[in-house]
Amino acid sequence: MKRTTVQAALVPACLVLAASLTACGSDANSPASSGAKATGSTTTNGSSTDCPTGTINGEGSSAQKNAIELAITAYQDTCSGATVNYNPTGSGAGIKQFIAKQVDFAGSDSALKTVAVDGVVEADAAAKSCGSPAWDIPMVAGPIAIAYNLPGVTTLTLNAEVAAKIFNGTITTWNDPAIAALNAGASLPATAIKVFFRSDESGTTENFTKYLHAAAPAVWTADPSKKWTGKGEGKEKSAGVASAAAATPGGVTYAEWSYATQNKLGVAQIDSGAGAVALTGESAGKAVAAASQKGQGNDLALSLKYDTKEAGVYPIILVTYEIVCSRYADKAKANGVKSFLKFFASPEVQSKLESAGYAPLPAAVQAKVAAAIAAIS
Amino acid sequence: MSVSTTSRVVVTFPDRTRARTQRDRAARVSMALAFVVAVIPLAWILVTVTTQGAQLLFSSTWWVNSQRGINSTMVGGGARHAINGTLIQAGVTALIAVPIGVLTAVYLVEFGRGRLARAVSFMVDILTGVPSIVAALFVYAVWVGTFGFQRVGFAVCLALVLLMIPVVVRTTEEMLKLVPNELREASLALGVPRWTTIVRVVLPTALSGIVTGVLLGLARVMGETAPLLILGPYTKNLATDLFSGLMPTLPTMINQDRSELGQAAAVERMWATALTLIVLVLVLNLAGRLVARLGSVSR
Repeated sequence: MKRTTVQAALVPACLVLAASLTACGSDANSPASSGAKATGSTTTNGSSTDCPTGTINGEGSSAQKNAIELAITAYQDTCSGATVNYNPTGSGAGIKQFIAKQVDFAGSDSALKTVAVDGVVEADAAAKSCGSPAWDIPMVAGPIAIAYNLPGVTTLTLNAEVAAKIFNGTITTWNDPAIAALNAGASLPATAIKVFFRSDESGTTENFTKYLHAAAPAVWTADPSKKWTGKGEGKEKSAGVASAAAATPGGVTYAEWSYATQNKLGVAQIDSGAGAVALTGESAGKAVAAASQKGQGNDLALSLKYDTKEAGVYPIILVTYEIVCSRYADKAKANGVKSFLKFFASPEVQSKLESAGYAPLPAAVQAKVAAAIAAIS
Repeated sequence: MSVSTTSRVVVTFPDRTRARTQRDRAARVSMALAFVVAVIPLAWILVTVTTQGAQLLFSSTWWVNSQRGINSTMVGGGARHAINGTLIQAGVTALIAVPIGVLTAVYLVEFGRGRLARAVSFMVDILTGVPSIVAALFVYAVWVGTFGFQRVGFAVCLALVLLMIPVVVRTTEEMLKLVPNELREASLALGVPRWTTIVRVVLPTALSGIVTGVLLGLARVMGETAPLLILGPYTKNLATDLFSGLMPTLPTMINQDRSELGQAAAVERMWATALTLIVLVLVLNLAGRLVARLGSVSR
């Protein structure tokens, strides 16, 4: 009797252990099968993807999450032995983890900074952690939509100045004369404007305020930053602002295009001086094409022309980068990153991204990207 | 004179009884109300989670497959990867924390006298008050900052151990104190050595209480989120290696789908994951109680 009770004293610990061991023992692993049915048989990406096995980890921008998720799914279908993880924790977090050597590449909505912020020069810190220069490789362009919720108003045109006034709280109702002047013939309701902004530090906020600051410098005087400096009510992440605007008549926000369409919000046309331009893959792609390279060599950091006056160009875009080491200490990691990015940048994958709300990179940039990826070692 | 005194007593006595009865009733009602108020959120949570998430739990792939290749907009896949991760991490955490916790409690109750015992007891009190995020950041600072290791499952376990030890120590201590001294004295009087007394008499007597304590601690660490967010990034793939690579867990899976509130598929997955976590804790709880009942000393 007593002997069994002694052994029973150890039972709780063993029980837990047993539970966990059987869990990993019956590892009925058919992971790809459930996802493969979607694209598995149809994707014959002939881009001669060499398939390394192993795992690479990335972390960062949530703006590129939907794009990279699509790319990862297709890549893992092609290369069943490879695994890519991407955690959308935000551009700032991604760069920090990259510098701390916790991830193999970072996703970021802005290139590594070459000037000191809080005493840290991101580019130098990343180079130090890599042991070689870190490169910014543009992967997708995401148009930022000014998304509004006005029942009955299907098209709305804004320009930079009016947008800046809406987002800094100067214009407070939708039938304001400044908005009416841009929308001749439209019947605008007297609804109060409710601005929703990103409460977390966001590359979307940074790029949107860059646009407002560059295109309407007289109205939007604050320096662009990842933290919102305008008026309104804060919500977390793109999903948060978009669903808040969708639930509030009179609501307006800025978010990646896909979030605006998913939440069935109206997307404002932008008039930069040469007529109203609707947000399409093509009009946003033109803005990407007009970007110039500011990094050197294979560092493809781009500088965007937010104050463009050209016709047919949708100017509010962000380019999201993959930040990589130019030379990896671990050869397997280098091969994994190269193979995945090559796949991601291939025209077949890029062309699919448009349906997810992204603008593909223009051909000229794609060629440079391919060259840079090939140079990773 | 005496008549008037008795009459006064007769008049006042029923009054006082009525007042007491009313106060008693008021106390009863307010206690019942307090109970109802306490139960409302619990019932609400259970009903919401069950109605929103139960359907996916019966899908054929939920307990078998991982989320590999399932985008946030897609339905399908399962939570196997996260269930594995949570069980493995909880198991390893318990494996480290339970012996330390139980032995500490045995020391405090059976041997601890003087300064060292007071210091240990004090430290356990402090550890009880450590917020999980602090434990997580401490492990992050040591594991990643000082040693430069990667964020892996084992680092999560270390943070969880810090959170589990005080729970186990405190409950075990209370249970050991409840063991009647006569049992110890009887055993010692028969010439049984002290350590045998503890192992064969004291611990078995307190077993069911200890198991409860361990389960409480386990339930706490399984639902813990802060250390996972900091030390255990999510992955959609099956992972069983505690020492390299990312390891998914149920809380991080919930967190992942939570960031996609616009997507019906992700939201449903989020509720189902939450329900899975509740079910898992419940099953462990029941199993533990069963074991405790079977193994306890019959008197």
